[in-house]
Amino acid sequence: MKTMKIRTIVEGTVEGIALVSPIPISFFGGVDAETGIITDSENPLFGESLTDKIFVFPESKGSTVGSYVIYGLSVNNVAPLALIANKAETIVIAGAILANIPFVDKTDQDVTISIKTGDKLVIDTTQNIIKIKKE
Amino acid sequence: MFLTKEQQKMLDGEFGHAIAKLTQLIVKIGEVNGATRLIPIKNAQIAGVSYLTVGEPIFTFFNMLSEDNVKVSVPSWLNPAGMDMKKWKEMGIKNDFAEKQRKIIQQYQKMGIQTTLTCTPYLIGHKPKFGEHLAWSESSAVSVANAYYGARTNREGGPSSLASAITGFTADYGLHKKENRVPKIVVDVKATITHFSDFSALGYWYGEKFHGIIPYFRSIKNTNIDQVKMLGAAMAASGSVAHFHIAKHTPEAENVDLSYISETVTFNESDKKQIYDHFNQIKERVNLVVIGCPHTSLEDIKLIDSSFGDKSIKEGIKFWVFSSQELMQNDKAKKLLTSLEEKGVKIFTDTCMVVSPVVRENYKNILTNSAKAAFYLTREGTNKVSLLSLSEIIEGVSE
Repeated sequence: MKTMKIRTIVEGTVEGIALVSPIPISFFGGVDAETGIITDSENPLFGESLTDKIFVFPESKGSTVGSYVIYGLSVNNVAPLALIANKAETIVIAGAILANIPFVDKTDQDVTISIKTGDKLVIDTTQNIIKIKKE
Repeated sequence: MFLTKEQQKMLDGEFGHAIAKLTQLIVKIGEVNGATRLIPIKNAQIAGVSYLTVGEPIFTFFNMLSEDNVKVSVPSWLNPAGMDMKKWKEMGIKNDFAEKQRKIIQQYQKMGIQTTLTCTPYLIGHKPKFGEHLAWSESSAVSVANAYYGARTNREGGPSSLASAITGFTADYGLHKKENRVPKIVVDVKATITHFSDFSALGYWYGEKFHGIIPYFRSIKNTNIDQVKMLGAAMAASGSVAHFHIAKHTPEAENVDLSYISETVTFNESDKKQIYDHFNQIKERVNLVVIGCPHTSLEDIKLIDSSFGDKSIKEGIKFWVFSSQELMQNDKAKKLLTSLEEKGVKIFTDTCMVVSPVVRENYKNILTNSAKAAFYLTREGTNKVSLLSLSEIIEGVSE
């Protein structure tokens, strides 16, 4: 079990399985708000679902309308459990707040390297930590 | 973050769930960016209008807002939509797209937002004043507001500009603070820049090289609003540059602190040529000419008309000009419209080549004088675009 200090953007304590995108994600055009499936063909996670996963990505890219996609995921009950990024940016902050999805960032380390798809994670925003249990 | 009593009440939900969420959104974005307070804004310019760019998810968001019947608290204007609201059939827009587009506009209207549907609100009377704080989201308008007018706005997203329009506040960080408006790079413009497309090429070149860094341009002789809008739009598209200075021309240039300059670069003829060469992609017949990225002014339209002289457009080529509905209400504009229509030129309002689906879908080989338009039209790799000056374009497509 490894513990990592994080910064809390949107609060929430959750436990779940990590899904890691090694490259920046465009929520608009890259994720289907109705199904939660990643539709960006350039992403190695193409075809995978974000639903009920802890989605880990370096940063977001693309249209600011991506915030509405994140909100749409929660309205359609296909949202990820939580979001972890290297640096919180406006698109994801706005989306996570509207959707009320726990969101943390880690500006001094690459989370897409320290966390692997399949790792079991506990995000605890009361203590600002993530516990990582390797797959 | 310090909040006034009123702001705290908004955050605590005393004015409803939607206001609380939108306030929280502004506060969080501010906190992450080091803001310690919220500041009132004069007005807002809101992107996220075309159904092409917002898609279905926008409707779930509208539902949340309409449950609390929220309204904007400052003058607010909309960015272009995905179609001319009257002549959409003529553009080749399909019925179901038109229906969705109308629904989106109605929702914004219900919140009290003016349906200007333009990326150039400053051309229809909404000129920002020096030092005013704004929440604008269209990237070219942001850059013009900061550089040409000396107003202060960050490059907002659609959601954050809407949140500011409704709450009346934005977080005090980034370009709202004087110390973040200083240039870091001097650009000596050695190449001749006369045509709008030259200004556009300069902006595109700089943005691509120096992503996000505020430049200080030297040796640009003339600048009018139409040239500055081409420069700013291209720089924002290729490099997310939201502010710039032009020596002797832009209002902050004279007194701006130049002690943070770390590099001086030169824009030579060869650099200009490199941008034109990059967007010199059409090998076959041209299908469509698109002018008006950003939206044309009355002066732009006059120039198009006079450049044609007595000539008309060649058979088989379409020539589309994009502008705002409000500008076309002007009597001079109406006369020009008639004159241009006789030559085969169509003026569409409320939309543009970037946010309307039909340009990319229906036309393969496209000519434009805007590097921003060229950038967006070629991004998906399905269209070929050549960047030329307006006079070269008209010379080539008329007879």
